[in-house]
Amino acid sequence: MEELVLELKKQIIEVLNLEDVQPEDIENDAPLFGSGLGLDSIDALELIVMMEKNYGIKIKDPSAGKEIFKSINSMAEFVQANRKK
Amino acid sequence: MTTKQWVKITPERVELNGEPLATTARGTALLTEIYRTRINDYPKFFKMDELCKLGFIASELLLQAEGDRHQDSEDRAVILFNRSSSVTNDRKYQDTIQRPDDYFPSPALFVYTLPNIVTGEIAIRNGYYGETSFYVLDAYDEATIRATVEASFLDGMTQSAICGWLDCEDADHFEASVYLIEK
Repeated sequence: MEELVLELKKQIIEVLNLEDVQPEDIENDAPLFGSGLGLDSIDALELIVMMEKNYGIKIKDPSAGKEIFKSINSMAEFVQANRKK
Repeated sequence: MTTKQWVKITPERVELNGEPLATTARGTALLTEIYRTRINDYPKFFKMDELCKLGFIASELLLQAEGDRHQDSEDRAVILFNRSSSVTNDRKYQDTIQRPDDYFPSPALFVYTLPNIVTGEIAIRNGYYGETSFYVLDAYDEATIRATVEASFLDGMTQSAICGWLDCEDADHFEASVYLIEK
């Protein structure tokens, strides 16, 4: 799980062009949106694409994203339970 | 109309009011160098496409040269022109939808597949609520640009404008010739 958490942090930084952020700057339980990394709605859509492209997970209900993308930990748990690649 | 400040940016050189700025990078790395050394307080810069980065850097240099930051106003317009529309980013977006076996349309690229997004980026950064327009011309045409900008000053509201040419063919071929003018 620790490996997956680090992998997700690196992918988020790359996909969302978070130029000045390092993986260690992202706390596992901190909110990704709002006060956390300050991500916006376009970033959320980009994360949905990333989940499908990298893990074969299709998120058909956009409202489910709120829980899945709450934090790195919630993303990692979801990926581990649903990944197809 | 009076020109108060002007900036010219090419892949090799940046001039502000006729004075070259000391830079070492070229191409889009030059824009990042200017951002890092002279702005560095707007992380959204790194999410922008090349056309927006070019317009953002040009506007920031003009506004820094102006001095007191003119913000939250309805009397400043942003009126830009080019030939290549948003083609640099359009190509990148197309690349994400080109192959049926690797079809992952990028929302972050899609939002920049219009040239007028750059006028919005500048307006959002500075709180400008006046006119924002982007015109795509066949070629650089000073008479058309001048007539269009002059017409914008007839609305009874506009007192100043960030305006001019902002063209980006690709990461190594771009040109900004942008002015801050007043009525």
